[in-house]
Amino acid sequence: MHESSLLKDLLSKVKTIAEENGADKVIGVKVKLGALAQISPDHLREHFDIAVAGTVAEGARLEVEVLQDNFDPHAQDIILDSVEVAEG
Amino acid sequence: MKSRTIKVDYLARVEGEGKLYVKIKDNTVADVRFSVFEPPRFFEALLRGRRFTEAPDITARICGICPIAYQMSSSQAMESVCGVTVSGPLRDLRRLIYCGEWIESHALHIYMLHAPDFLGYEDAITMAKDHPDVVTQGLKLKKIGNELMVLLGGREIHSVNPRVGGFYKVPTKEDILRFVEPLQWALEASLETVRFTSTLSFPEFERDYEFVSLRHPDEYPITEGRIVSNKGIDISTDQFLDTFEEIHVPHSTSLQAKVKERDDYLAGPMARYCNNFDRLPEVAQKAAKEAGLSEVCTNPFKSIIVRSVETVFACHEALRIVKAYKAPDKPYVEVLPKAGVGHGCTEAPRGLLYHRYEIDDAGIIKDARIIPPTSQNQKAMEVDLRQFVQKNLDLTDEKLTWQCEQVIRNYDPCISCSCHFLKLDIKRD
Repeated sequence: MHESSLLKDLLSKVKTIAEENGADKVIGVKVKLGALAQISPDHLREHFDIAVAGTVAEGARLEVEVLQDNFDPHAQDIILDSVEVAEG
Repeated sequence: MKSRTIKVDYLARVEGEGKLYVKIKDNTVADVRFSVFEPPRFFEALLRGRRFTEAPDITARICGICPIAYQMSSSQAMESVCGVTVSGPLRDLRRLIYCGEWIESHALHIYMLHAPDFLGYEDAITMAKDHPDVVTQGLKLKKIGNELMVLLGGREIHSVNPRVGGFYKVPTKEDILRFVEPLQWALEASLETVRFTSTLSFPEFERDYEFVSLRHPDEYPITEGRIVSNKGIDISTDQFLDTFEEIHVPHSTSLQAKVKERDDYLAGPMARYCNNFDRLPEVAQKAAKEAGLSEVCTNPFKSIIVRSVETVFACHEALRIVKAYKAPDKPYVEVLPKAGVGHGCTEAPRGLLYHRYEIDDAGIIKDARIIPPTSQNQKAMEVDLRQFVQKNLDLTDEKLTWQCEQVIRNYDPCISCSCHFLKLDIKRD
């Protein structure tokens, strides 16, 4: 039930990173999903595709790495790992 | 195309879901829009096709703080369709578990969410550094409410024991009597809570509310009663939809509610208190008067005192039920399905909770309608905000944001789980 606000936060961070790096196009986003995160990769992808429309990340490729360690302090988190921006 | 990868390592978090837009033109508030972006959860739709006995378990999932309210309103609605009345010790046990919910919910809001606002702390954890005794007392009080829910509901959150017709299992007299001592402590602690909250300093703000709550012939209302207001409403629960309407506003995913042909209204502790002061036990009336409250309170910031007075009532009532308890012969009354429409209305900690169901002869739910207190209060919140901002235009945006959050928190809305949730967007022309 919190997916849309989660994506809103994620994409506002992506937008800030693009701005800070003088990029006007984001072509790839990599996210790490904790082993106990409340969202599955497919579900995240669905929401991502809807949420990027009309943003700097429209059409960007989403890479999701699912972490396996239940005991990792970030096992319940969703981590924005890296952002790939177009240059020039 | 050339590209570059930027390493980030940023923890994504769920954003605050409340947003307030205020437009100020020529020193006058021109527009106030309070938006909630919680996506719809479609509970009413997913109830269709399920058995009538499943409604209490499914609807309990709507709220982690007040699941009992959902179980009681839905059970009452189903029993009314099927022509069953739950009375005697089973009715008392329902009231008792509901008291547990009021105690835990009110203690949570008073101590963990509302008090830090008044004392200038970000949250209860920061407040605990300077006021460890206050926070410890709040937690202990909350725990007693939770323990009552465990005893009767099977667990603290999303109870599994209540059912249409009563309970799956009822406690023994011995189990119940264990609560006498903790509840005696809780009653004292709640009286102390009234004293503590009355010492806080309150912004000057009064409003002429329409207070809507239940009213019962001889009890302070929790599980049943007629729906009344201080402006003339006096209806049975099955007339709810004739009197009130839900409205969809473009700026929010949460529905608002109003009295048909009239305006916003307020449900919750202040409304119950105003409409039922004469039904409070003497100990609660006395505590309210000593705290400087009159029989009607129209300053929403003082809802923290009213909530404390209601906690006194809930502890007192729980203690009364516990002391008089005689185990029922059977844990539930048999309820056989009958086609028809039923209405249920009880007093959740945050206010009136209305359920309406249509079921068929086999007990299958054909239609469901649930109107929770937070959406009923949404319009009243917006009006409070408009009037409050108008009176405080000279505050800095930072101070105004803090106080607007407080205006919203006065209602103990579900959205205040995230302590500082409000995005304030002020446009000054």
